[in-house]
Amino acid sequence: MTRLTCPFCGPRDLQEFEFRKTLPEPDSNAYAQVYERANRLEDSLEHWQHVHGCRAWLLIRRNPSTGQVLKLELMGGGGP
Amino acid sequence: MSPAKVRVGSRLASAPVRFSFDGRQYTGQRGDTAASALLAHGVRFLGRSLKYRRPRGLLTAGPEEPNVLLTVGSRPTVIPNVPAPLLVLTDGLEFRSQNRWPSLHCDVASLLQVGGGFFGAGFYYKTFMWPSWRSYETIVRNLAGLGEAPGVSTLPPPAIEHLSCDVLVGGAGPAGLAAALAAARAGARVVVCEREPECGGELEFEGGTIDGRPGGQWVAAVAEELGRRGARVLTDTAIVGGSGGLLIAHAEPGGLAGRNKIYQIRPRHFVIAMGAVERPIAFVDNDRPGVMLLGAAERYLARYGAAAGNNLVLFGNHDRLYAAAGRFVAAGLRVRAIVDSRTEAAVADGGTAANDLRAKLQRGGIECLLGYAVLATEGRAAVHGARVAPLASPHDERRIACDAILVSGGWSPAIHAGLHEGGKRRYADCSAAFIAAGQPEWRTGAGASNGALDLAAVVADGFAAGERAARAVGTAGSAGPAPIAYGDGPPRLAPFWSSPASTDQEKRQFVDFQNDVTVADLRQALAEGFIDIEHIKRYTTLGVGTEQGRTSGVLGAAIVAELKRETLLAVGTSRTRPPYHPVTLAALAGHRSGQQIRVTRRTPLHEWQEGHGGVLEPAEYWMRTRYYRANGANAFAAGVAEAARVRAVGGILDGSTLGKIEVAGQDAAAYLDRMYLNRASTIKVGRSKYMVNLREDGMVLDDGIVLRLADDRYFATTSSGHAGHMLAHFEHYADTEWGGRDVALTDVTEAWAVIVVAGPASRDTLRDVLGSAWHADLGRLTHMDFATGRWHGRELRVLRAGFSGELAFELHCRPAIAVPLWQALVDGGLEPYGLEALDILRVEKGYLVGAELNGQTTPHDLGMDGLVELGNPCIGRPLLDRPAFHEASRPRLVGLRTVDGKATILGGAQITTVAVPNRSVGHITSAVYSPALREWIGLALVARSLAAEGTQLVARDPLRGGDTAVRVSPLVHFDPSGERMKS
Repeated sequence: MTRLTCPFCGPRDLQEFEFRKTLPEPDSNAYAQVYERANRLEDSLEHWQHVHGCRAWLLIRRNPSTGQVLKLELMGGGGP
Repeated sequence: MSPAKVRVGSRLASAPVRFSFDGRQYTGQRGDTAASALLAHGVRFLGRSLKYRRPRGLLTAGPEEPNVLLTVGSRPTVIPNVPAPLLVLTDGLEFRSQNRWPSLHCDVASLLQVGGGFFGAGFYYKTFMWPSWRSYETIVRNLAGLGEAPGVSTLPPPAIEHLSCDVLVGGAGPAGLAAALAAARAGARVVVCEREPECGGELEFEGGTIDGRPGGQWVAAVAEELGRRGARVLTDTAIVGGSGGLLIAHAEPGGLAGRNKIYQIRPRHFVIAMGAVERPIAFVDNDRPGVMLLGAAERYLARYGAAAGNNLVLFGNHDRLYAAAGRFVAAGLRVRAIVDSRTEAAVADGGTAANDLRAKLQRGGIECLLGYAVLATEGRAAVHGARVAPLASPHDERRIACDAILVSGGWSPAIHAGLHEGGKRRYADCSAAFIAAGQPEWRTGAGASNGALDLAAVVADGFAAGERAARAVGTAGSAGPAPIAYGDGPPRLAPFWSSPASTDQEKRQFVDFQNDVTVADLRQALAEGFIDIEHIKRYTTLGVGTEQGRTSGVLGAAIVAELKRETLLAVGTSRTRPPYHPVTLAALAGHRSGQQIRVTRRTPLHEWQEGHGGVLEPAEYWMRTRYYRANGANAFAAGVAEAARVRAVGGILDGSTLGKIEVAGQDAAAYLDRMYLNRASTIKVGRSKYMVNLREDGMVLDDGIVLRLADDRYFATTSSGHAGHMLAHFEHYADTEWGGRDVALTDVTEAWAVIVVAGPASRDTLRDVLGSAWHADLGRLTHMDFATGRWHGRELRVLRAGFSGELAFELHCRPAIAVPLWQALVDGGLEPYGLEALDILRVEKGYLVGAELNGQTTPHDLGMDGLVELGNPCIGRPLLDRPAFHEASRPRLVGLRTVDGKATILGGAQITTVAVPNRSVGHITSAVYSPALREWIGLALVARSLAAEGTQLVARDPLRGGDTAVRVSPLVHFDPSGERMKS
């Protein structure tokens, strides 16, 4: 994974993006939401920002063991 | 026997180049490398091995050279570990050998070896354990290490070029050139990377024809056609790594950092045509100078006219020995014997051309020993002879006098570029090595990496790979007919890894020359339970040096397989990882060093401050003034003077570095209520509020002032250092949990300059400076009110706040009027102050300075209980109720004074009770000398149980000043009722 395809900007170098967090398990309690991360070898749901581009927030599902991006979608109404 | 000193038909220009090696002057020819020039002078002993300090000479003619690494230049700007075959001579170049002290020929550590013998794998782990490793560390570290670390680097930063293409071909040997030709003819955009200064690979010395032309002519014709078709051929450029479809190539013409360049290449398809690396055979004392790989000797002879020796013994396990011998004889060198480990019976079957050649060499008087092996070398710092014996009866040794033994145990295809990311490999019988397999769709092997080892097959395979690559990227053109090549036939290799030897002799059968790993080490590792090849690698250091197992990896694995009585396939080899060639870290960093690591931001008032004696220092991304030179000899004196003047008269501070975010939309108020611990929705238009952000886990993240510009518009400030992070934090929440609401965030940090005007004279000066249009507002504004208007035609906001404890205003103005406004204030009698004074003013008033927001303090810890009790359900609020946040050991922000009113206290000092001197109960976060109070005062985080006013404690600062008796004081040290601020 050396590039991500931003829905606004197209395929861009990974250096333009910043990782924010791995999402916790849904429906967990407040403590788990903050401190516990789903840590799965092949499936990780993450928030990234195209911080040095359009600043859009992205929801990315990827396989951390291969780097393969399985799903990438725009969050909220962000973007240019 | 005197070593070879003659040039034999060199292709180099005759222009002489002077250089010095270990302090001695030599002359080479233009185009020579350090290796070829010294070889041509007959200098064989060029370095010592890392561990045993054994004399070493050249083994290879490429970057995989394990023995001869050089240190170029002199302190402090040395470049260590340059492989001799890569270092191209320039006039006056100075370099020296490594791993020796005081000199190459008289090395103290090697003398120690004479008595001490060999230390095997794990020696250090086992030996230096009593009483502890620390007792030996200094001595061992002085002996260890590869080369001398440079003191400073004056090298220019290397350029980084980004390239994209349809097909990237790694390697411009026959396979790579054929692949590039096919892809380019089919219409693909092609880039070729070749690590050597010239294309052609082994065509340089191998006889043969392609499309009826000699190899060299074909190479020139292909290079011309590639250029015509728009392909880029990068010579002196090695592919050193990459991931995820990005390939990193490193160009280092001349082999020396300083002229290098990094290419970041994104191909749509990658053809791996990097040939194969020849490997040695393990026999006793096979590391003696004069033992060289066969292909390296051919290259030195063909390219530089430098002979490995005059009396050669060739030793190997394949037919290529005979073709090479023919070329050595043709060049006038004497081949004393060809030692072939294959039996007569094995050779008789097929291979007519090679067998005919052997018969011809024998008729010419060259001894061809089939079924024989070289068991050992003779000599000291140079080979004087080879001990050979039939494999069927290894005790029938005989000696053959020679000055060079050229060895070839076969070739290991260079498939590393396709492996580190998880590509697979397959064992190929024909080369007794691993070839590329199971590659992803965008990678194709060509030539040797597919197991092709004879010219005809290599060219055909390369051309087909190029066609496939072009098709894969969707080009429509036809590549036309493939070139037809005739060259040395298939090598008919029969695996042979180590010559017969006694267990004791195995200690001198070298496998990894660079790290002195022998057959004995491998046997020992197995005996001690290291079964997996990856463990064996780490325990013995097999293949961990700069050569990264290029020559030793497969050989070591094969010997392990023989010792374990398993197949090489079952043992496998350790995984290769980038960089495949040594690359200076400076090359990878490129221009991103020193001041170029990150941006430097300057406020609109930067030049004014610089021009008026401001001492500017980096504060996060910004440059900010710490103090003004006119106010004191150093930061301390100037800061005290500036702070005193603010309280006496007034002063101005550049606050433009504050982060500023404009928040607009129907849902802005509700959104900010979630972002801050206290509510933004209750701020009236025209008013502002001090607000605090929490992290998700309840810790305080940042603080700042929020202005309400309109019902649906806010202006939020963040602390200077957090501006970027806070913007991302705001955006994250607005787009995730809060997504879909009507909130728009705009970073306006650089749209507004901020001038803080503080002190008793501030209002009167502002009246004069801003003019009569502002008089009413200046009279009306109470604490935290702001007014908007214009000054000199540009927008200006005047906020009555200032965090100095004085009557103070923040002027938020457009950058265009920042300097005139600042200058007018100076002309009106207010002098600027810097961060040093700002900190004094803040600590005097008990305001957070910065170190209190360390990511480990809750609002309760910082005395913001009142804000928490508002009950606003903001981010982080739910986790504040955790019991641990309310224990007596949690810190509490307090004021701190010295007991005697005279001693010095400094930020960072640990605090203990008087009774228990070695358990910290808190620390001083900020401490200053207060000119208003004429003593040192501080802010501290102290355990709640000890935070009561008047509690006597000890500030312990052993590194800077020792122990100071202190007592807890009210948080606000100066003007606790705030009279001055309200005036």
